[in-house]
Amino acid sequence: MTLPIAFRIAGRELRGGLAGFRVFLACLALGVAAIAAVGTVRESINAGLEREGAVILGGDASIGLTYRFAEPEERAWIESVSETVSEIVDFRSMAVVERGEVVERGLTQVKAVDDAYPLYGTVGIEPESDFMAALDGTGGLPGAVMDRVLVDRLGLAPGDTFRLGTQDFVLSAVLTREPDGAGGGFGLGPRTIVRTTALANSGLLQPGTLFDTAYRMRLDPGTDLATLQAQAATALEGAGLRWRDARNGAPGVAEFVDRLGAFLVLVGLAGLAVGGVGVSAAVRAYLDTKIGVIATLKTLGADRRTVFLTYFLQIGALTVLGIALGLLLGAVAPLALAPVIEARLPVPAAFGVHPGPLVEAAIYGALTALLFTLWPLARTEEVRAAALFRDAVFRPTGLPRPIWVAITLALLGLLVSLAAWLSGLAMLTLWAAIGMVAAFLALIAASLGVRRLARRLARSQAMRGHTTARMAFGSVGGPGSETTSVVISLGLGLSVLAAIGQIDSNLRGAIARDLPEVAPSYFIVDIQNDQMDGFRALLDANPAVEDVQSAPMLRGIITQINGRPAAEVAGDHWVLEGDRGITYSATPPEGAVITAGQFWDADYTGPPQVSFAAEEAEEMGLTLGDKITINVLGRDIEAEITSFREVDFSTAGIGFILSMNPGALAGAPHTHIATIYAEEAAEGAILRDLASAYPNITAIRVRDAIDRVTDVLGGIAAAVTYGALATLITGGIVLIGAAAAGERARTYEAAVLKTLGATRRAILANFALRSALLGAAAGIVAVIAGGLAGWGVTTQVMNTDFVFEPGSAIAIVGAGVLATLIAGLVFAWRPLAARPAGVLRARE
Amino acid sequence: MSDTILSLDDARLSLAGNSGQVDILRGITLEVARGETLGLIGPSGSGKSSLLMLMGGLERATSGRIIALGHDLTALGEDALARFRREHMGVVFQSFHLIPTMTALENVATPLELAGHGDAFDRAAAELALVGLADRMDHYPTQMSGGEQQRVALARAAAPRPDILLADEPTGNLDGATGEAIMDLLFGLRDRHGSTLVLVTHARELAERCDRIVRLRDGLIDTGEAPARAAE
Repeated sequence: MTLPIAFRIAGRELRGGLAGFRVFLACLALGVAAIAAVGTVRESINAGLEREGAVILGGDASIGLTYRFAEPEERAWIESVSETVSEIVDFRSMAVVERGEVVERGLTQVKAVDDAYPLYGTVGIEPESDFMAALDGTGGLPGAVMDRVLVDRLGLAPGDTFRLGTQDFVLSAVLTREPDGAGGGFGLGPRTIVRTTALANSGLLQPGTLFDTAYRMRLDPGTDLATLQAQAATALEGAGLRWRDARNGAPGVAEFVDRLGAFLVLVGLAGLAVGGVGVSAAVRAYLDTKIGVIATLKTLGADRRTVFLTYFLQIGALTVLGIALGLLLGAVAPLALAPVIEARLPVPAAFGVHPGPLVEAAIYGALTALLFTLWPLARTEEVRAAALFRDAVFRPTGLPRPIWVAITLALLGLLVSLAAWLSGLAMLTLWAAIGMVAAFLALIAASLGVRRLARRLARSQAMRGHTTARMAFGSVGGPGSETTSVVISLGLGLSVLAAIGQIDSNLRGAIARDLPEVAPSYFIVDIQNDQMDGFRALLDANPAVEDVQSAPMLRGIITQINGRPAAEVAGDHWVLEGDRGITYSATPPEGAVITAGQFWDADYTGPPQVSFAAEEAEEMGLTLGDKITINVLGRDIEAEITSFREVDFSTAGIGFILSMNPGALAGAPHTHIATIYAEEAAEGAILRDLASAYPNITAIRVRDAIDRVTDVLGGIAAAVTYGALATLITGGIVLIGAAAAGERARTYEAAVLKTLGATRRAILANFALRSALLGAAAGIVAVIAGGLAGWGVTTQVMNTDFVFEPGSAIAIVGAGVLATLIAGLVFAWRPLAARPAGVLRARE
Repeated sequence: MSDTILSLDDARLSLAGNSGQVDILRGITLEVARGETLGLIGPSGSGKSSLLMLMGGLERATSGRIIALGHDLTALGEDALARFRREHMGVVFQSFHLIPTMTALENVATPLELAGHGDAFDRAAAELALVGLADRMDHYPTQMSGGEQQRVALARAAAPRPDILLADEPTGNLDGATGEAIMDLLFGLRDRHGSTLVLVTHARELAERCDRIVRLRDGLIDTGEAPARAAE
């Protein structure tokens, strides 16, 4: 009988309307909307990648090889299973433009194609013309198309000529759209597309040079990709191939989108937690007004369960409404903004209503609402009928019954587990949850501290005579103040922003401050064996060159560990993703620290041995004596791990995960890699000399590479900042809610103060000061919490020094003060304008 | 009767109600002498409290004039009225109207601070001691009984030594014994500070402690009665 009665009473109570629940609904709806919107965008991108998988990949399936072209028999097999095959060669090179004495050079990622390219999609060029005709060239020179960034950098225009290696090309057009451009991942140079046949005399595709080939296949529409993949693994066993197919045309992009999306959902959850503070405050305020009703219901014979259910059902109905509003907003907003988002995305997106993220957001919304309303609801049990006859307002204190504490902890566990499972980032979720709970507790402690401090200050001798300040401190520290909800809601939002600010500035600082001191000026790749001596001699003769380090380099894929597939042993460790650089040397590299085992003797000629990077080996669970199989140029080499070395990648110098004894790689064609350390002013001249003497080599300017990385990081930081802004907006709503909820109290206070002789100016100053104090408190707590989070990420995750960045900290505190000041003052006008008699009479 | 401290000349008050304008006070003409104690009585809705609000400048008269200590309250702006109250008036309400975020001491010190008294807290403490609350100074209103809250309100009204003390049914929310004690305190403070007291009350026996009683009915003065004590 309890439930139907509770239903009926709840229905009658809700007839009063939703006026008191605007903040409740706004907080919940916004939090749910943010998560739903992030999820919808993520799903839309994934759907776009899936739909356009073949275009992004450049074929239904692709077999990639490192360093080499397919052997005739391999090519024959590929052709036997395909309708059409297109061969793509991809490598880095230098585009050179000579104008008399002036020589311009630009790093470029060259794609060399055949007549079948592209199998899917179309290449966009400007001026518009036939793409293949553009590659034909004019005046006896082969043609090329080039990304506008590089065209502008080199000062080229269609019709101009430039050089790749020793081959001249005519720039036929500017490349505006590369259909398979998104699948390639992170590249350091803008794209240039030429015909493979045009490179025959360029000197760029010699044995040992660093290039990748891909054989894109157009397949019969009925082909089962999984079966074909298995067949390829068997037929081309030992070829060291990389298989990709249209089921996941851009695995790197898809993974990045998934990870960033999952991370943004976590940021969204922080927003929902902030909204939870508003939800909780709204329910608390609502139930405060219902104490009389509850006491009356109990007088009339309602038991605890009936009373609890009555209000649980009311809040439940409002929660459903809030979630529904949030889902509507979260589903519609990405659709409305689809053209804007699509224009900024480098990948296709299929915008639409995706049920998955909406369900996810609804579940998060429901759990959060339950988590934050359960305790206030549990308080209804404690209201006694006698509350009707008490003078003082009934204010229960302390924890609710243990069962409610247990249910709350269980709900929290469920929410965190669900987030970990759905995001696929279990550890990050766990740390984020711990961080959020810690931040919550810290903010609660801080708000209590702020109240206590304000109370002490209000009573201190120093405040005597400073009536406005004393009253402001008194109200911040006094009972029933907004301090707790404002400090928590605004503080949490600002903490996220402060953490991002500190991490971003430290990362940029570390790159700008530390790296140039240790980083080389240039990486030089593709130096042929017979060029090494001349290359060395040329640099040694240049006094501006401080140091040159070089090493032979090949590339290979670790395919097996102790006879088992490598992924089975070491999971998805990054060392196993694609091919890795491998070097060889007879003696340990200069300054190398062997942490375990023994480096082979200089004259060692026995079976292959490998020295492995110590940190990565530990992560992969490798031990001395393990045997790893490395596929180099289609040949499997099994080597025993005989030593571990410390490899420091932070200096941007030469560092190899794998170093083998020279005999192990005997006969394998290879080139050399070199790093040049020189004064910045001399970098241009060094490059000019080297490129003139060795046109085939590719120089990567480290400063340019760092800038490119910084740009990418900046983009990620911007995305996260947008996520944090959603949190801050929710915090703002809670703030406005708190200010609105406090308006009645302020109106009353203003009336009493006017009765005692306070002018409106004095009252306004009092209200403004208390708002500013709350904002400053929230801001300072946020800076401390954000600083701690920034320190943790900077020192523990990024392994760089942490330097507290005051600029963003001051901005955060200023933003806190401004936000509370605006909210406080907006809700100060009515109290100031109200006539005291009317206000006081209403309270009689 | 000595000099007039407060005079009302055909003071009227109309307020907007749900069913149109309601005439609360329909022409009150009254003079209060300096040092006098005046009891305002009458049935509920007769306009007693509204008249007190007009006297305190807390409500603005629709028409007529109200002169207090030579100032025309009907001509003063809201802030000027606040300054006038801070210097010359103390008000006690039936529902105490203490500021909930302030302790007893802070509540009492506030009008003194607003008036610019450097020793606001010392004087507030002394005033609280006078009403028997020396040991409750740091308590918030919600931590006190109704009687204690009203004693704080009395101390707050009396602390600035006001020329005029207005009290609106100060015992209305209290039991008999507590109400009696509050009235003793009110008259005691009034005697100590020499203020003029205007007291609104339902209870005729309380009103009879005043020098003069004015009865209101339907927004008009019903009849002026002879001062109970003066007649003795």
